[in-house]
Amino acid sequence: MSAEVAEKQKTTATDWEPKIVALVCNWCTYAGADLAGISRLQYPPNVRLIRLPCSGRINPFYIVKALQHGADGVLVSGCHPGECHYISGNLSARRKFAFLENFLNYIGIEKDRTIFTWISASEGDKFARVIEEVTARVKALGPAEKLVKKLS
Amino acid sequence: MPNNIEQKIRDEARRLLTEKVVDVVVGYEEGTLPLLAAPCFITAPEEVDRLIFDASCKQNLAGYVHALIIEHRKSQARVKPEDKTEKTVAVIARGCTSRSIVIHLQERQYERENVVIIGVPCQGYIDKNKLSDKASGKEILAGKLDGDQVVIETAAGESRFPLEEVLAGSCLTCAWPNPVISDFMAGEEVAPRTTEDEFALVERFAAQDENQRWAYFEAEMNKCMRCYACRNVCPSCYCPTCFADQSQPEWVGAGINPSDNQVFQIMRMFHMAGRCVDCGSCVEVCAEGVDLRTFLKKLDYDDLKLYDHRAGVDLEKPSPLASFREDDPEEFILEP
Ligand code: SF4
Ligand code: SF4
Ligand code: SF4
Repeated sequence: MSAEVAEKQKTTATDWEPKIVALVCNWCTYAGADLAGISRLQYPPNVRLIRLPCSGRINPFYIVKALQHGADGVLVSGCHPGECHYISGNLSARRKFAFLENFLNYIGIEKDRTIFTWISASEGDKFARVIEEVTARVKALGPAEKLVKKLS
Repeated sequence: MPNNIEQKIRDEARRLLTEKVVDVVVGYEEGTLPLLAAPCFITAPEEVDRLIFDASCKQNLAGYVHALIIEHRKSQARVKPEDKTEKTVAVIARGCTSRSIVIHLQERQYERENVVIIGVPCQGYIDKNKLSDKASGKEILAGKLDGDQVVIETAAGESRFPLEEVLAGSCLTCAWPNPVISDFMAGEEVAPRTTEDEFALVERFAAQDENQRWAYFEAEMNKCMRCYACRNVCPSCYCPTCFADQSQPEWVGAGINPSDNQVFQIMRMFHMAGRCVDCGSCVEVCAEGVDLRTFLKKLDYDDLKLYDHRAGVDLEKPSPLASFREDDPEEFILEP
């Protein structure tokens, strides 16, 4: 690598902004995001929301694939336990997430790369706070390196 | 000379086949390589003397039970309902094999009546990698078991060592050496081993720092050539279409990118949450010597610590991902 290129990479690293994929459920968190928007709350523009019918519909593979394809962080959010639109989707999801989160940490993926939370439709302010928190945590980690598919 | 257990297995297999209680007995027979028994399928009473059972019998046979029953069902798809038949399979089952059968039953793959379990008390099997180390990597020309000793012959001559030194990792910490369910026991039950805590491995690994753990995972998975033998041998991997073979969507890239190995392994292991009986068959078949157990054992660990469940031990206790509780632990949930 030439010195010039190396220098350029260094500068881009300082203006680096994380890409965060948020997998959210249709009934609570997505509506919460909507409320945050309607209430004109400010939050960092780093997240890309992907809306799913229920947190129970989130195949843990989506999280792993997002990391593989270069997401610096993945946020997963659904309805609070007890408030699932489908009664128990989030309760079975919680077990899947617990296994996955523990396993990913165990193999050495940073804890804050994958973040799980519950946000209800009335918690627009919490949505904004979560996005701020998640963005700050992922920024602190720097760009993702592990598990990322590098095409050379 | 058949040993005591073998004699009982053969007698029972002969009876089951003669009385037409079962269509086939799945067991082990002498293989073509020293100290490596092969799975076998006995359908005629005169053939039962092929059956053996000792520390050279490695593979968890439950996968075959599943395959035989399910493939038979599929073959009957176009048979009139009144003419349909069911396959009944007898299987030589040690602790881990019986636990895999429990998992199949819990997951409603077949009925209890479809399987006759010939239980065997198990003292563990020989790990091929440890054996190869004993032979200093040389080809093993001949080998036999002599009580609790193993005798092997290589170009460098004969050597003898205790069986204990070459037992598989899974066997050294096995808490269920006897079948958890059986229809017949070919021998006295043996005591579980308590030499090392079965989760010491997980705790030791977790005590390393994040980057060391990742470096180890990465290095191990780089050895993998994605032959899928580990999946093919695993009794819990019976999906008609595995994610690894799907192309729409293509979960695992077809190329040789290291991240695709990692993704394949993470997801296959994730599918083992609460369903891996630590039989070690996947480790044993891996031609590249990938250390799968260090990682699989973590799921087993969480299964116990988080949900107080052990894979395949209790027919009445559903697997963790098939159940939930309102008050399940959720320390990992962010609350800003
Ligand atoms: S058996 Fe070994 S080499 Fe083959 S896919 Fe499994 S881990 Fe990889
Ligand atoms: S993952 Fe390996 S150790 Fe676990 S049940 Fe399957 S073959 Fe056995
Ligand atoms: S790896 Fe998963 S999808 Fe593939 S056969 Fe095993 S359990 Fe099924």
